Amino acid sequence: MSDLPLAGVRVLDLAQVYAGPTCTRILSDLGAEVIKVEGLHRMDITRNFVIYENKTQDDYWNRSHYFLFRNAGKKSLTLDFQEPRSIELLKRLVPEADVLVDSFTPRVMAQHGLDYESLRTIKPDLIVISLSGYGQNGPWRDYSAYGMGLEPASGISSFTGYRGGEPLRTGISFTDPYSGIMGAGAVLAALHYRRRTGKGQYIDLSEQEAAIPVGGYALMDYTLNGREPERIGNRSPWFAPQGCYPCRGEDDWLVLTVRDDAEWQAFCDAVGQPKWAQDERFADVLGRHRHHDELDELIASWTREQGHMEAMHLLQAAGVTAAAVLNPKEVLLDPHLRERGYFEMVEHAGGVRPVPKQLGARFSAFDTDVRGTAPKLGEHNREVLQGMLGLSDEELNELQEAKVIGETPELAVPLQLMQMMVQWPLTSLLQMGALGGLEPDFKQQLGLEQKAGE
Amino acid sequence: MPVLSRAEGPDLALDDLRVIDLSQGIAGPYCAKLLADCGAEVIKVEPPQGDYARTLGPFPDDVPHHDKGGLFIHLNGNKKSVTLDIETESGRTVLRKLLAKADALVESQAPGHLASLGLGYDDLKQEFPDLVYCSITPFGQTGPYSGYRGNSLTCMALSGLMYVTGDPDKEPLCTGGEPAEYFAGLNAFVGVLAAVEHRASNGGGQQIDVSMLEALGAADEYNTAMYASLGAIRKRFYSRHHIPAYPSEIFPCKDGHIVVIGGAGGFPLGMAILLEQPELESNPLFTNFWMRTLQWQQFEAVLRPYLLEHDWRDLLTRAQELRMPFGPVMSPGLLLEDEHMKERRFFQEVEQPEVGRTRVAGAPFRMSETPLRQGVAPILGEHTHDALLELGYDAEEARILRERGVT
Repeated sequence: MSDLPLAGVRVLDLAQVYAGPTCTRILSDLGAEVIKVEGLHRMDITRNFVIYENKTQDDYWNRSHYFLFRNAGKKSLTLDFQEPRSIELLKRLVPEADVLVDSFTPRVMAQHGLDYESLRTIKPDLIVISLSGYGQNGPWRDYSAYGMGLEPASGISSFTGYRGGEPLRTGISFTDPYSGIMGAGAVLAALHYRRRTGKGQYIDLSEQEAAIPVGGYALMDYTLNGREPERIGNRSPWFAPQGCYPCRGEDDWLVLTVRDDAEWQAFCDAVGQPKWAQDERFADVLGRHRHHDELDELIASWTREQGHMEAMHLLQAAGVTAAAVLNPKEVLLDPHLRERGYFEMVEHAGGVRPVPKQLGARFSAFDTDVRGTAPKLGEHNREVLQGMLGLSDEELNELQEAKVIGETPELAVPLQLMQMMVQWPLTSLLQMGALGGLEPDFKQQLGLEQKAGE
Repeated sequence: MPVLSRAEGPDLALDDLRVIDLSQGIAGPYCAKLLADCGAEVIKVEPPQGDYARTLGPFPDDVPHHDKGGLFIHLNGNKKSVTLDIETESGRTVLRKLLAKADALVESQAPGHLASLGLGYDDLKQEFPDLVYCSITPFGQTGPYSGYRGNSLTCMALSGLMYVTGDPDKEPLCTGGEPAEYFAGLNAFVGVLAAVEHRASNGGGQQIDVSMLEALGAADEYNTAMYASLGAIRKRFYSRHHIPAYPSEIFPCKDGHIVVIGGAGGFPLGMAILLEQPELESNPLFTNFWMRTLQWQQFEAVLRPYLLEHDWRDLLTRAQELRMPFGPVMSPGLLLEDEHMKERRFFQEVEQPEVGRTRVAGAPFRMSETPLRQGVAPILGEHTHDALLELGYDAEEARILRERGVT
């Protein structure tokens, strides 16, 4: 295996939460050195989510699985933007960097003199990318945006939902990973151009816009025909039958798509119902579209007797597109993903945790394994400020005492209240129906080993 | 302008790259389009009957035509179309001549199919040692499901994202618009560029294996983490996926929908002001986060009636003024007519052959030195003849190749 493609590239990562950190996690996996900058008064909020075993005493902010997902392999530097010395230190770091990533609304960077025009005077070939909700101009430019609001803003929810039902959202903050990956591509394109010409540049990425193309079919139907999309549940505009069908186990489901006559024949044979294939209602493509409701009932009458995994394997062996709907636990245990090494086992905060590969691409000439665990808050303050800027011990101590840098967050609410918010009431969430199960023996189920002494 | 030429005009980020796009459908063409938008010269090599996406519509007035499909236009701007039947030896000979001039190949055949034609990566790497060979498949080139058939729906199912999408008392729901395809194309875009950078510093091409399932699965926000750290199996629960941020839900309002998100400053004060009921500031549903989350029906009994009396633009503007990150619920029509989008000039009008003036989605990001370009999708085989001549065939040979069905 040879050097990683971004070996020697240094990234100052001012981004927080989800989209920006996804971008920089990819850059890190590809070999860049990523220095994540957080404020003691404004640490990455995701350090509060999914704390190991729900134990919120001590330094819980260093034990978040959510944070680990997107920050594995990075270094942590604390600087507080409300504090002029922080801005000064940041500006001294800029000449040492190749790429700067931020995810603020446009006014924030300018307010601190960190807009691109200012930064380029410090480092002319710097590449700066701003990932913002709505972009750097336009009436919504200063709107604050969370990923939960941006998938609907990009139009995707308008064609996601049950037939005749309300618009719904994906069970993740869809536009965050989407624009994060897009941002990594944009940075790679800019690095490519810089290598050829020596020129840096500024990239304005609106997370709303980045995800709009996912609605290509619906957008073009509007531009060509003036039609707004309908919500069609799990059906397809092109193929019938397609749907999600109940299986034998509780909350076990199977999805399948039958594309043409041959696949319909294959499906009927595979499920032992050759007479369905002879039913003239379903004989051709149009019939199967027209009688989709009846088909759904027939198919469900078969799937209800099947295990979801067995049904997938049976139908796939017959050449029918089908898949089990896996719950998160089943994803972690899936043999295909396991064989491909999709989850990497990363040591973090005294245990071993599964972390999905961030990039859906594997390379024959180099590995994209995570390059380390996620950093503790402020873990690399000394390494960065002394190693790169040559600050003395006295200067570091002074910054530490002034709480410009540190390893403990300055919480906006009392620690006790914070711990209450960070600790999730799992039993209540289960009763409410937001959880499908709660399994105290999850470590054994996953075969997670504990380090000695844990 | 010759077919095998670099783009003209201002500098483009990737204008030194040539890509052969052998893929069809959505994921591969989307990857190649992103490369093309950034300046790469992309030659789309289609079978003589065309990329099957040409049949998928939507068509103007619903009249099918292989040069008028909306999805095809959406995914193939800035490319050149060369028809070639690579199932024939004659077609493969032409393809090899094209590959000799290419930096990257993007393909989306089932694993092993190109190898069966002598066009697998191992078949080509001796002849084209610098070629970046990017394969996009539903489940990747290896592993027990690699031979399985897949689409966006199967990837939603196996990635776990479908289990957590939808209503708890209904079947899991697939996100609309074939999202796994787009995620895969996006990852392939990053993959090709990473391999090109690797080639620049280390030399040599390589093979890239993009799995649509893994590309989508990596978008898992925290669902597998919840099991691996808490033993909790998260289940679909309306649009409220983010447990520590209730409501962050889509709600109906007077003239549409709105996403209600409190954000850091929303509760209790901001939301009470927004709802014009200051006394709510001391209501436990507003002061106690977990009470609000767990007794959500009570909270919504307060919220919903107010929303139903107000327009989404009014709610959005006032919430943002209170620093609450409410979001709009846009449809294609709302997006295309929206003032913000207009000022951003996101949608661009192009003169699409056979269709006429039409609006298409623009640059997914803006580069200050190397702006992305906007272009039309090619009509089927538009560049075949010229490409053959530039590869050294004469007009007579080009005629024979066409009439024998090779091109």
